[in-house]
Amino acid sequence: MTIIEKIFSRASGTRVKSGDYIWANLDLVAMRDFGGPNVVREYKTYFDNSRVFNPEKIVITFDLHIPARNELVANNQNILREFAREQGLKLFDVNNGIGQHIIIENGLVRPGDIVIGTDSHMNLLGAIGVAGFGMGTTDIAGAMYKGRAWFRVPSTIKIVVCGEFQKFVGAKDLILYIVKKLKTDGALNRAIEFSGETIEKMNLAARITIASMVTEMSGDIGFIEPSGEILEFIGKQEDAEPITAHPDAQYDEIYEFNVDELKPQIACPHSPDNVKDVKELTGTKVDQVFIGSCTNGRFEDLKIAAEILKGKRVKPGLRLIIVPATMQVAKKAVEQGLYETFLYAGAVITNPGCALCTTGHPGILAPDEAMVSTSNRNFIGKLGKGAMVYLASPATAAATAIKGVITDPKEI
Amino acid sequence: MIFKGRVWKFGDDIDTDQIYPGRYLPIIDKKEMAKHAMEGTTRAKEFRENLKPGDIIVAGKNFGCGSSREHAPVAIKEAGIVCVVARSFARIFRRNAVNIGLAIIQFEKVEEIKDGDSIEVNLKTGRIEDLTTKKVYSGITVSKLELEIMQAGGLLNYLRMIK
Ligand code: SF4
Repeated sequence: MTIIEKIFSRASGTRVKSGDYIWANLDLVAMRDFGGPNVVREYKTYFDNSRVFNPEKIVITFDLHIPARNELVANNQNILREFAREQGLKLFDVNNGIGQHIIIENGLVRPGDIVIGTDSHMNLLGAIGVAGFGMGTTDIAGAMYKGRAWFRVPSTIKIVVCGEFQKFVGAKDLILYIVKKLKTDGALNRAIEFSGETIEKMNLAARITIASMVTEMSGDIGFIEPSGEILEFIGKQEDAEPITAHPDAQYDEIYEFNVDELKPQIACPHSPDNVKDVKELTGTKVDQVFIGSCTNGRFEDLKIAAEILKGKRVKPGLRLIIVPATMQVAKKAVEQGLYETFLYAGAVITNPGCALCTTGHPGILAPDEAMVSTSNRNFIGKLGKGAMVYLASPATAAATAIKGVITDPKEI
Repeated sequence: MIFKGRVWKFGDDIDTDQIYPGRYLPIIDKKEMAKHAMEGTTRAKEFRENLKPGDIIVAGKNFGCGSSREHAPVAIKEAGIVCVVARSFARIFRRNAVNIGLAIIQFEKVEEIKDGDSIEVNLKTGRIEDLTTKKVYSGITVSKLELEIMQAGGLLNYLRMIK
């Protein structure tokens, strides 16, 4: 059995195989400030004031419009605060950061769990072997009531990665390269399992980067075989056990990649699979750089950026915005002197959250501007009409901020 | 579940922006949403003026591609469409349609059915009859689980019914 077949077999109480339609019991249901209020409305319409299936297994996070930027958002947040009070639910208010990261940091899930939530990138939980799925209002409202959701068991693609990254090349470059090869529908209705020596050596931050961008290939979920630091992380959780595929697992397709020669990668407007070597774009003028998001907002991501920015200044006329994924990340970055580097370099640092992943956060672009972002999507209109968004690693983003034009980090 | 109705034909790749334009996303009232169903298509005006409750949409491949907005199936259902027949459905649209109780069925030879024909669709058996031409076809039914949810009138009704 593949990892997803194992997880769904446990959660449905039957032995499942790909293509089956099943009901699965859920281990956690998440909603956020955006989308969450609609869930509450549907919940109340259908179930009145009935108790949720299990208050321990529902979490609310505020990560998008934080703190509230207008009255509508403020009201929406209060709808959730009130619902959390009524039902006795955990709520992580505006000072905490991105939901999925909070879920991991607070040990709210264990490998093998199934989580659904209102964000499109819930599947980054695959980084620790959790099956996370982004779903719509109706699914989440129903799940809060019954603790169940229906699924079609996906088949699985296996991706094996070996080789040694060159300096300033890492997980983001690898996943951009994989998206380039598989295209935006390459994993449609399927799961992915990542393995191989390169993956085995990855820390949590890198694993999250990889798993988060499975969405950009239309995949249901991407799992990363547990090893190294992750095993320690999992080991700290009570009765948690890593979950791996059975040797008899059947895969749809197997891809192999070697990263020895991989150069820094960049996704050009307006699709995450429009990927080129950073070198090919050297010199392209950039107005703003964003380092953060659920894909690259962890401490290790910020640390690479700080290494490059240390003692340097952002190019005059360019705006650099840095946003840690969570408060825990922010505190560590302060303790280790990263904020100092960023501030003296001329960066704007804002409070932890999703920030410039999507509209709703300060930093929107004018129609003719260009931005290099460490986020995961660059669809047209996502950050301002017509603006050009390029996706790259924290290293490429930092190098670009210094030069004011797209720059290979090796050249700094 | 058998539906009998008049056909509205649409082409391939009808995306969620054609089904329900993004500028109406802030609308919460379902009756209001219904007024904008299919407004992004070239047939917006006649659809709004001539649609009768019980009508059926027949479309090409990848119906409902684009964003994950649940507004899209909600708007067409509230407008009075009882069933959508398409060569294929985008994944999220399919899930949303099932969840809100909008009947859907896949059918390969959609070109056989003409705009304005009367058709009868049996969701359970997949039998599709063009009452105008008297021809009978077979479509690909949804899974048993999806059918149960649609029959209940959507996921939330379904969950409310089961113990
Ligand atoms: S950073 Fe973007 S994709 Fe990630 S959780 Fe936030 S809104 Fe979703």
